[in-house]
Amino acid sequence: MSDLEHLKELIGERKEMAEFLDEALSAVEQSDSLESLERVRVEMLGKKGKVSAIFRGIPSLPPSERPVLGEIANTLRRVLSDEIARKKSVLLAEEEREKLSEAALDVTLPGRRKRLGHKHLLSSVIDEIISIFLTLGYRVEEGPEIELDYYNFEALNQPAYHPARSLQDSFYVKRRDPEKNYPDDVLLRTHTSPVQIRVMESDSPPLYVVSPGKAYRRDEVDATHSAVFHQVEGFAVDRDINMGHLKGTLEVFIKKLFGEKREARFRPHFFPFTEPSAEMDISCFACSGKGCALCKGSGWLEIMGCGMIDPNVFGYVSYDPERFSGFAFGMGVERIAQLKYGIDDMRVFFENDTRFLEQF
Amino acid sequence: MRVSLEWLRDYVDITPSPSKLADILSMSGTSVERIEELASGVSGVIVGEVKRVENHPSSDRLRIAVTWDGKEEKKIVCGAPNLEVGMKVALALPGATFPSIGKEKLEKRVIRGIESWGMLLSGAELGISDDQSGILELPHDAPPGEDLRNYLSLDDVVFELEITPNRPDCMSMLGVAREIAALTGKKLSAPRCEVAESSEPAERLAKVEVENLEGCDRYTAKVITGVRVGPSPAWMQRRLHAVGLRSVNNVVDVTNYVMMELGQPLHAFDLNKVARKTIIVRNARPGEQLMTLDGVERQLNEKFLVIADFDEPIALAGIMGGEGTQVTDATTDVLLEAAHFNSVDILTASKRLGMRTDASSRFERGTDPLGTVLAARRAAALIKEVAGGEVAHGEIDISTRPIFPVEIELRTETVGRLLGLDISGEEIQKLLEPIELKVRRNGNVLHVEIPTFRVDLEREVDLVEEIARIYGYGRIPSFIPGGGGAKSGLTKRQKLENKVTELLISEGLSGVVAYSFILSRDLDLLLIPPGDRLRDCVAILNPLAETGELMRTTMLPGLMRVSLANMRRGNDDLAIFEKGRVFFSRGEQEHPLEIPQVGILLHGRREPLSWLEQERKFDFYDLKGMVENLIEGIGTVPPSFDSFSLPYAIPGRSTGVFLEGKLAGYLCQLLPEVVSGFGLSGDFYACELLLEELLDAANEEAQFKPFSRYPSVKVDVAFVVDDDLQSARLEDEIRRSGGDILFRVELFDVYKGPQLPPGKKSLAYSLQFSSPERTLTDEEVNSQLDLIIENAGKALGATIRGREQPNGQQS
Ligand SMILES: [Zn+2]
Repeated sequence: MSDLEHLKELIGERKEMAEFLDEALSAVEQSDSLESLERVRVEMLGKKGKVSAIFRGIPSLPPSERPVLGEIANTLRRVLSDEIARKKSVLLAEEEREKLSEAALDVTLPGRRKRLGHKHLLSSVIDEIISIFLTLGYRVEEGPEIELDYYNFEALNQPAYHPARSLQDSFYVKRRDPEKNYPDDVLLRTHTSPVQIRVMESDSPPLYVVSPGKAYRRDEVDATHSAVFHQVEGFAVDRDINMGHLKGTLEVFIKKLFGEKREARFRPHFFPFTEPSAEMDISCFACSGKGCALCKGSGWLEIMGCGMIDPNVFGYVSYDPERFSGFAFGMGVERIAQLKYGIDDMRVFFENDTRFLEQF
Repeated sequence: MRVSLEWLRDYVDITPSPSKLADILSMSGTSVERIEELASGVSGVIVGEVKRVENHPSSDRLRIAVTWDGKEEKKIVCGAPNLEVGMKVALALPGATFPSIGKEKLEKRVIRGIESWGMLLSGAELGISDDQSGILELPHDAPPGEDLRNYLSLDDVVFELEITPNRPDCMSMLGVAREIAALTGKKLSAPRCEVAESSEPAERLAKVEVENLEGCDRYTAKVITGVRVGPSPAWMQRRLHAVGLRSVNNVVDVTNYVMMELGQPLHAFDLNKVARKTIIVRNARPGEQLMTLDGVERQLNEKFLVIADFDEPIALAGIMGGEGTQVTDATTDVLLEAAHFNSVDILTASKRLGMRTDASSRFERGTDPLGTVLAARRAAALIKEVAGGEVAHGEIDISTRPIFPVEIELRTETVGRLLGLDISGEEIQKLLEPIELKVRRNGNVLHVEIPTFRVDLEREVDLVEEIARIYGYGRIPSFIPGGGGAKSGLTKRQKLENKVTELLISEGLSGVVAYSFILSRDLDLLLIPPGDRLRDCVAILNPLAETGELMRTTMLPGLMRVSLANMRRGNDDLAIFEKGRVFFSRGEQEHPLEIPQVGILLHGRREPLSWLEQERKFDFYDLKGMVENLIEGIGTVPPSFDSFSLPYAIPGRSTGVFLEGKLAGYLCQLLPEVVSGFGLSGDFYACELLLEELLDAANEEAQFKPFSRYPSVKVDVAFVVDDDLQSARLEDEIRRSGGDILFRVELFDVYKGPQLPPGKKSLAYSLQFSSPERTLTDEEVNSQLDLIIENAGKALGATIRGREQPNGQQS
């Protein structure tokens, strides 16, 4: 039982006393400053206060009343001084807060910031592509950027006078002997596909590999061409790999990279190093397939080339095409970044304007 | 390649809408890049017949054509030189629209006092040819009054197709029609190639010899005599125009028309200009020349295959004819050539000459070796139809060997294995026959006969692609393969490499991607002396002027150019890094070396401008701190630094970074003259680190190192040393003398100034001691500190400027 409850019990039907208690408690509660609280304290508990007056009145009471009233007075004094102390601490805390708020800060002023570093968007996109293939059980391999004609063309089933070669204009490395030509030609790789050959030469199936990197084509630099660009090559060689595996893998990839709603379609195409070959399109982000300026009205965006690895390629690395089959795909990182982030000029990637770098 | 829907309908019944048809073609591998609707701007133009031609009273050049429009005669003022009585013409009536007047409507006009009730149009004005030399002449049987849009099928749709290099058979109307027929389940009807011939044998009118049978394994010639060269009929001009070919004259137009129709390039020679009427297919002789049809004098040598007459070359085989024997208005006798040339020879020659023509682009991919005779007959028939004359009997046909269709064995099991489809031999047969592949089934093995025009089908796997293509890639069910198991995922080294990037970014640096090329001038700007390793560049044989002719041996030029581009646009502060490769030539014998590196460049303010702090610019120690953090972050042994001389660095402001004694890179401040050489100004701090050295030194299998759990004692001590003493040497000495109980050494003040003797500096360290076994006493710490001071004095001449007593226990 608290002191206050005890006191109320002692007071019982003593109406005058009960009224005094209520009055005193409410005076404490209503004090709104330390000064007014002190005034209340003196009025109640001071030498000339009301509680002292009760004590002083006790001797004049009938003897049977004295012990009860003595207890009432004592309890009353205790209850009131506790209440006053409690109220005082409340008022003190309020006063403290008030003082602090006078030193308020402008919270809208900028904070103390360190320079924030940013990953280049092309690196981020490559990382994202790679991370998806890592979850599908792939590993990462890199190859040289200065390649032999053999790896860049010949072993990819593009012999010297294959018509497909006229599609690409390559940077060749200057040799002292200008007559030294194919197949000793050294060039800047025109795609990341040579990594396929290098990995197959040095390892055996099962192979699940992605290979990011720079590639080079002799294109004058403009909004849609760059002499240096990035590709991610991927391939899988295993027993019983079929075209359904290629489709399934790339469909999962595209949904993870561009979102669940993106649909993929595969169109027959031609690449010397794959047979059958396909071009993969994804449903346009901008119009979801209805046709718009971005997709040139078709509803689809060309995203990468792919296909089943040509048995001739296996021939170059001495794999038995009756035992193993595989698929390969290659995508342009710039194109994916452009589509994903709405960038209409490729030059942005290589100018490295800090206002571009700091956006991503 | 452009194909005309109206033309395609000659060979196949097309029911789908143009956009649906485009889809069907695209999904079968013949990508439709663009759909173009033609002549939508023509209205109010009808067939007219010129009844009379009257002179214009006030003009010598203008005449008045009294033209019958099917109902009445209209007077039309006309200036065309080819206007003749009886001609059928394109008559535009008042209110008509046609391409050359844009959105305007033709109005009745008074021309030099004579009212003209319309206009007679040229092919160019109608937008169906380039011919503006005279009015368009329609066939004599054209019905006056008929809407020209109907009569000439002007409402055509053109598809712009991307034909992949493996499908030369699709570089013709018939080839595309064959695909459409197979894909839509219709029948293909090939054009008739029969011609009424005279009794005079072709062999008696001309002679053909093939000397180089490797380069030309088939040469078919047909002779037509007595032709009248003139404009082509309007329908032919219109079709050629629709597919992007210029009308020349009726004979030349037929050769182009048949090339577009069948895919076999043809050439027409004026037979009377061919010396001794003899065609010789041979290699050119050194010094021979040929003026080709484009008006360029070509210098030839023995590498070029030519068509020659008895005296000299008259055409570049498979590429372009010569001016001397071209068909002109005066030509009466024509020799038609339809040949089969070696595709590699044509490709090589066309690359060498930088000439790619409609003919060469077909030959270089491979034409049908059996197609020459049919094409020659078809062209002869058409020439007879549009230019008259007599077709000599038979053809001169020279071929090296009989050509038979190839047969390929196809196992149904291979189809299932590569496509993941369960498909029967019967189903396969149904897919292949519409594209004219003949299938003979023998259990699970199919014997497939390949028509000679399908030069791309050589192997079983090529047929697998045909099956997938016709079946539809979309219908192949999707699966996910199992993946590489234990061989999958990133290696430790790859993870560490990713960590390098993360650490650089956490230092406030942003990644850039620069071109891998530099200019040799860049190396001069960096003051790289001759013979320096940085000049062992891989040079590009065919560089682009704008990007540079050398592969970079240093990342600095790229980083400086990034700076310049940013400064020019007002981005004044820069903290960038690049992870990429540099390239070194190792002479002719060895393949160039590629070295992965990290490059860093700092310039301008360290932090974004703030109201809280004084602006502070990057300095040498900012860069050094970043490198130290990077190295500690990837967990290598502590690096050591030592002065390092670099041609482009300010002397005394560059240091090598050494890991386990091996050079792993440098960092420096660039010389002002180098900075200004790149068009920049101000302080630039640069660093290049060898990624392989960093990763090699990283401790991949870090183990826990126990540390003391007892309270530690901290003491500050300031040494006075010679000004030129490297602080690292003093710190090494302190650590060495501090023994096992010294676990932390922090330099907190460097002072030079009036309170010290000249040539001296003070280095103040905070040292922290603790023992793994117990709480150290002040005496123990003091005696260790005494030892440190004594050794530093002996080894480095260091004296003590101030020494604090152990400041009590700290935990
Ligand atoms: Zn769209």
